[in-house]
Amino acid sequence: MNLPAWLNPEPWLNRTFTAADVQHALGAESPDEETLAALLSPAAADFLEPMAARAQALTRRHFGRTIQLYVPLYLSSWCSGGCAYCGFASDRQTDRHALEFDAVEKELVAIKAMGFEEILLLTGERSHKANLDYLRECVKLAARKFHNVTIEVFPMSGNEYAQLAEAGATGVTLYQETYHPETYDRMHRWGPKKDFFQRLEAPERALAGGLRFAGLGALLGLADPRHDMLALYRHARHLQKTYWQTGLTISFPRIRTEAGGFVPPHPVDEKMLAQIIFAFRIVLPDVPLVLSTRENAAFRDGMAGLGINKMSIASKTTVGGYGDRGSEEGQFDVSDTRGLDEFCAMLRSKELEPVFKNWDGVYRLTA
Amino acid sequence: MLKLGNVEFKSRLILGTGKFSDTATMIAAIEASGTELVTVALRRFNRDKPSDDLCAPLAKLKGVKLMPNTSGAMNAKEAVRAAQLGRELSGSPFVKVEIHPNPHHLMPDAIETYLAAKELAADGFIVLPYIPADPVLAKKLEDVGCAAVMPLGAAIGSGSGLSTAEMIKLIIRDSNIPVIVDAGLRAPSEAARAIEMGCDAVLVNSAIAAAKDPVAMAKAFALGVKTGYAARQAGLMPKSDIAVATSPLTSFLK
Repeated sequence: MNLPAWLNPEPWLNRTFTAADVQHALGAESPDEETLAALLSPAAADFLEPMAARAQALTRRHFGRTIQLYVPLYLSSWCSGGCAYCGFASDRQTDRHALEFDAVEKELVAIKAMGFEEILLLTGERSHKANLDYLRECVKLAARKFHNVTIEVFPMSGNEYAQLAEAGATGVTLYQETYHPETYDRMHRWGPKKDFFQRLEAPERALAGGLRFAGLGALLGLADPRHDMLALYRHARHLQKTYWQTGLTISFPRIRTEAGGFVPPHPVDEKMLAQIIFAFRIVLPDVPLVLSTRENAAFRDGMAGLGINKMSIASKTTVGGYGDRGSEEGQFDVSDTRGLDEFCAMLRSKELEPVFKNWDGVYRLTA
Repeated sequence: MLKLGNVEFKSRLILGTGKFSDTATMIAAIEASGTELVTVALRRFNRDKPSDDLCAPLAKLKGVKLMPNTSGAMNAKEAVRAAQLGRELSGSPFVKVEIHPNPHHLMPDAIETYLAAKELAADGFIVLPYIPADPVLAKKLEDVGCAAVMPLGAAIGSGSGLSTAEMIKLIIRDSNIPVIVDAGLRAPSEAARAIEMGCDAVLVNSAIAAAKDPVAMAKAFALGVKTGYAARQAGLMPKSDIAVATSPLTSFLK
């Protein structure tokens, strides 16, 4: 299976970059694939400090001294998918839950009380418990309380996305996991997720359906990170050109050793992750870059404002985690377990303002 | 005096309120700037969480008027809704119409801005639209009752300065309402130049909020604006790059 020409990163993968190429890329006036490939290259590993300085300057210019905060809410751990790396895959022995609507309401109340205004609703692959009807109701409940409601769920049809937009959803996060088709096929052992292109094209269907923000990403660790990051960049640029009114965000989730003993075949260490984030800030200076609580506190503190301008905090990856079931096994282990106040105090000590509300429900389709 | 609608301002510096590291710095910068008008995005109003709310601390400032803006709106319909909600929440008749459908480069949508401005002016708002530096659009906005036009000097947050200077000069030449350069300025010298050129005021945000010392930079911008205005009052000497020829071209004239 071949990647379409607009996505294929191969032309930039077989080049060897020198220190001079990296320096040239650092000063690029119109960054492109060549710039990114140079900044992701082994030669750029010696330039982390100047890359960080450039990333910080660009972040400050476009986003100021602010960090936008959001929080995930896991609605259901039922999943028909067979992702080899996921703690919620259908062959894992784990207690399954889906929040009933009154329990959803309870979680929403608890999260709202913490002060969040942007909430990300998550489910696994489509299941008898978590289907479109269920999700639409959950979006409606959330939109009553939160200005910005986004979803990270199974890929849907354009018509289904339109229904969620009408219910009050504003954005969709959907990681391709890996842009390497053979790896993708190996990692996704069964179910609808096996279809690479059905997933790849989902953000476009969502945007055509009326959602206005799209979050992209690849799970770092599954395939050669340079391949995946170049393809991710090309995917983002493709969407920017096709859906020019879209607000994109990009996340950098690193896959960890999960329940079931999955060991990532292409581990990405902290330095490489930082290099990737700096490189993305340089080539996409005005796109929000996101870092979740998968990463540890020290790394997150260091990266805040250094490329990263949007973060989650106080996250529970268990279904019902904000209420009664806080201690069960989640989809992945939260590494930064700090509470909201502690995290905000850290941001302020770095002269960064935590921003909870950066959008208004008045701009919603349904408003 | 700068007159916007029926309100007069001594200061020709307007401040944006985003991008600051904390509320205290924002307030200190506003006070240091001597501004009497600040703009605040409706999306940063937060009635549910006072520590996240930009509106309440600004409303408390003496001698500073609030101008809600519609940043986040993608079209005229959304901007009108946002303006109405902003007026309801802030009690201010001012609105900065800001419509940028592309959330990355934040360039203003001329067509939607015109439609929203027309509707809001008819609804009694004091309307200040943020626009591309387009002299024709500026006149059309004047015709529908805007209190001023705010052409961009360069992209928001770019710090590229007065890259649209020639277009802004054309806007100034024919305008009967104040012309305020909004966006793109990086240095106080650029603010001085905008005022020297004939702009009535400048709106600055990133250049102050992202400076190493925002409060000191706010003061510097106040000085820049004052210097520019004083220079304009003093009358700049004419520019002349025409050398006088040693053999006069007009010696044949009797």
